[in-house]
Amino acid sequence: MLAFILRRVMQSVVVLFVMSLVVFSMINLVGDPVDMLVNPESLPEEIDRVRRDFGLDQPAYVQYWKFLTGALAGDLGNSFIFGRPALALMVERFPATLELATSALIIAITVGLPLGIYAGLRPNGWGTRIIMGGSVLGISVPTFWLGLMMIIVFSVILGWLPVSGRGETAVFLGIESSLFTLDGLKHLILPATNLALFKIAMVIRLTRAGTEEVMAQDYIKFARAKGLSSKRIVRAHLLPNILIPIITVLGIEFGTLIAFATVTESIFAWPGLGKLVIDAIVNLDRPIVVAYLLFVVALFLVLNLVVDIIYAVLDPRVRLQGEGG
Amino acid sequence: MNQLKLLSIQGLRTEFPTPDGPLAAVNGVDLEVTRGDVLGIVGESGSGKTVLGLSIMGLVDRPGRVTAGRIAFGGTEITNYSEAQWQGLRGNRIAMIFQDPTTSLNPVQRIGVQMIEAIQAHRDVSTDAARQIVREAMVRVGINSPDERLEAYPHQFSGGMRQRVVIATALLNEPDLIIADEPTTALDVTVQAQILRDMRRLCRDTGMALIWVSHDLGVVAQIAHRVAVMYAGRIVEQGATEVMLKSPSHPYTAGLMASMPANAPRGQRLVSIPGGLPQLSNLPKGCSFAPRCAHATTACDVLPELSPTSPDHAVRCVSPLQERS
Repeated sequence: MLAFILRRVMQSVVVLFVMSLVVFSMINLVGDPVDMLVNPESLPEEIDRVRRDFGLDQPAYVQYWKFLTGALAGDLGNSFIFGRPALALMVERFPATLELATSALIIAITVGLPLGIYAGLRPNGWGTRIIMGGSVLGISVPTFWLGLMMIIVFSVILGWLPVSGRGETAVFLGIESSLFTLDGLKHLILPATNLALFKIAMVIRLTRAGTEEVMAQDYIKFARAKGLSSKRIVRAHLLPNILIPIITVLGIEFGTLIAFATVTESIFAWPGLGKLVIDAIVNLDRPIVVAYLLFVVALFLVLNLVVDIIYAVLDPRVRLQGEGG
Repeated sequence: MNQLKLLSIQGLRTEFPTPDGPLAAVNGVDLEVTRGDVLGIVGESGSGKTVLGLSIMGLVDRPGRVTAGRIAFGGTEITNYSEAQWQGLRGNRIAMIFQDPTTSLNPVQRIGVQMIEAIQAHRDVSTDAARQIVREAMVRVGINSPDERLEAYPHQFSGGMRQRVVIATALLNEPDLIIADEPTTALDVTVQAQILRDMRRLCRDTGMALIWVSHDLGVVAQIAHRVAVMYAGRIVEQGATEVMLKSPSHPYTAGLMASMPANAPRGQRLVSIPGGLPQLSNLPKGCSFAPRCAHATTACDVLPELSPTSPDHAVRCVSPLQERS
């Protein structure tokens, strides 16, 4: 197990390095950040001074070398706009996004798993047709449009929930989160549901496919021949088997929830990472964009590793390479 | 005499709907099994022998269902049992063993869990007490060091060991009847011989009845007191094993015996029955075997009844072989 993890960490470092190279060269092709930083009517000397201050007058490979040596020391550069370390800005915003993504994941599982099992057990029922129709909508309707509709219905017309923002937060067990206040929860419901909709549809489809496959297996027939109740068969024989692929996919999907919460965060003005990076792209705030992209890559690498480890725990047949012989 | 009748089936018909109309996989079967009896059911793939076993267990997968006839078990009619009543019967009074031991056990649950649940589904006993019953059942089928085995997963067992686990599971609640659906087909010959010997001993020791479903007349001859030969959903010949094997009356049974490698003279090609099973959707008007039968005449256009030729022997043929010889 340890050898397996070590090898994966080494691979991750290589991937991160290659990604940094790609991200850095791509971003140098897009626009001139100095245009955004100074008043267009400034004197040429002034513009040159700003360019020198940010080190943008040097060739790209020098800039990259500076970035790389800084990154190895844990410094991803300062934001052009805020004048503060990019990493610190991200760390500040991360809890809001993590909270949003986690809530969305929990909603997706608690709603999607039972509906998917129901649909898988009754492939021809009316309930199944409604669930599967709904999941097609969930997958095909754009998130931003649904988000706007939700705001119009639940906030503007019905007035039940706040339109945007994160609301009050409270500290509990050393974690600051809006999950611990009523106002915070109210603010969270709409964006979390919006972010979860696509994943609910995905979980339903995965669960249904898994359920149909597992229910046709001989061990389910043998379990029925033992006289087990349907409840016991679902809990002890169906669920552990369908959870293996679902957890694999959801582990990776958790990364996309965090990485692509950008749309939802923009619509609901949720002060998370997504909003930070959208603003940074608009303002050509290179250090933030680079730091964000590297963060997302690192996130996926870690999630992949965690999923592999969980997989080995869930499925006794899987033995990670490098363990034993 | 009557209380010895454990299982009594009359006119059983199990149909599967298709776009071209219903297919009768089991087509008017009458059977009787007494306590301590070992009945072999022989037939090719598709002859309906497996569906017959599943019908007795109430395990026919929808949309298939029993459409006619009655099944009485221990003097009680069970044909129209509710799912809850079936659950009380299955694995408790009637147990079933399936063909492929490699797929009959859930890969992600420990052996112990899968065996203990079979006891607790029917009896209100503590897990410790159930574990003791499981240990005894494992020893009975020849599994050594049961305590270690209980903690193992199915993939850590060989095929023969897995089938022993399945058999031990079927024995847990001391059923009156075990239906074994080709339990040794997937195993190699030496393991098959061991399991046959063990099953014979178990039947003798416990007095339980056994229905042994197989395509292999040779295997059935080793274990069964009585044999029923199925063809295209019907029983075509039935009788005491020694009587039937000595002088088969139905041309199909005779053909099966002639095609057994052990009965073939050395150095000659193996005999085979010309043709294949008729389509269930397109059965011949009279005897289903007539198109493949060397003795067929116009009299075969009317379906003959299963009629006795001697006290312990019945055949469904207009001109049984015995009379001719």
